[in-house]
Amino acid sequence: MGGGANKPELIVNGKRLDGRGFDELRPIKIVAGGLKNAAGSAYLEWGNNKVLAAVYGPKEALPKHTQDPEKAVIKCRYAMAPFSSLEEHNRSGPNRRAIEISKVTKEVFENVIMLEDFPGSEIDIYIEVLQSDGGTRAAGITCASVALAMSGIPMTDLPYAVSVGKANGHLILDLNKSEDNFSDADMPIAIGPRTGDILLLQMDGDLSKEEVGRGLTMAKKAGEIVSKLQMDALRAPYEKILERYKV
Amino acid sequence: MSRIVVPGEILAEKPLRMPNALTEGSRTFSTVLGIYDEAKGALTALEGLWYPRRGDIVIGIVEEARLNSYNVELNSPFKGIIIAKFVETRLQRGDVIEAEVKELDETRTAVLMRPKKLFGGKVLDVKPSKIPRIIGRSNTMLQQIRDGTKSSVMVGMNGRVWIKGGNIALATETILKISEEAHTSGLTERVKAMLEKSRGPEERIPEEG
Repeated sequence: MGGGANKPELIVNGKRLDGRGFDELRPIKIVAGGLKNAAGSAYLEWGNNKVLAAVYGPKEALPKHTQDPEKAVIKCRYAMAPFSSLEEHNRSGPNRRAIEISKVTKEVFENVIMLEDFPGSEIDIYIEVLQSDGGTRAAGITCASVALAMSGIPMTDLPYAVSVGKANGHLILDLNKSEDNFSDADMPIAIGPRTGDILLLQMDGDLSKEEVGRGLTMAKKAGEIVSKLQMDALRAPYEKILERYKV
Repeated sequence: MSRIVVPGEILAEKPLRMPNALTEGSRTFSTVLGIYDEAKGALTALEGLWYPRRGDIVIGIVEEARLNSYNVELNSPFKGIIIAKFVETRLQRGDVIEAEVKELDETRTAVLMRPKKLFGGKVLDVKPSKIPRIIGRSNTMLQQIRDGTKSSVMVGMNGRVWIKGGNIALATETILKISEEAHTSGLTERVKAMLEKSRGPEERIPEEG
């Protein structure tokens, strides 16, 4: 997308800049829980991304005009810490980009949380990016999903998100910052694994119809790994205690 | 054989009716993080919220005293209300009360009855999904805590525990341990051992409360 004269070569000898294959994810680590005051929380490391998510509620929606008498409302705040990035994001706070990501994240979770159970309430989702290296909206959604499950809020699915892009004519999975900035296309996708529903689909740059289809297949395949990591992270704190008293 | 399930995980390939689960076509899936016992076909939430039900005993904090009713905070998205004419002594904002859910009105507000003011003591918030374990089967666990610590302990289904007198520190520690290890077996014995171990000869006589 960006680029011009200074555009670096993103694919060298059939490998990407960080040595990954085209359909290889960065290493992911998810820890469920951790924040005591939150109803649910999670911490995620996705390559060099470090993301913290916290969920509060359901509680009475305030100010009152935001209440919906038929269902709960979600308030989502995605924010990058002022120290999270190498450049650009030198000031934290709701800028155009953060407002957009908060909105799309909210819409992902509106599809899976059983909002009708809590009329007049609000559910707060906070996503803080502590360190960023491309694909933070995907990391944020994946992390918030674990935090929501930890909070006990009933959900019909446990969504994950990954991004697919295109560089030097190759489709690549899970773009990092330099790939994100200089690739030909970037397409973050959020999927509910139970139903296979696509909950988020954005695209920067150009992909052909055929490439979008292949990209989705790549994302779903990689998503199985991400989804498994989310489930393992949720089970881990309980299994640790079970292990302690195993006969 | 029981296993830990996550939201959206398939429990069975047949429609089953149980709390915290939904059916879709011929499948049943979980909506919470919980433990599913396949032999019994029972799903127990590990992380879950409290939904008011008629007959639930709750511990609330009076939020607002109005002319003919009291608003009660119940540590949940659902509000509680007490009709003032059924209260013998007037309550004040900040009072801790124990009450029973009489009914749910059309806005899912819990109408409470038989409020009992709790004087002094300490209020502990735990996860509502752990409350059944703190109470135990036919009150065994709760009675064990009361006997072991000589404290007055009241448990509300909304995830609040009120403790007064006796060894408050030990009672709090025990309740936190139960809530952390609620999904393990043999917990009653471990709690019993824990309470007996900390029973010293210098145990002080509990104050009446």
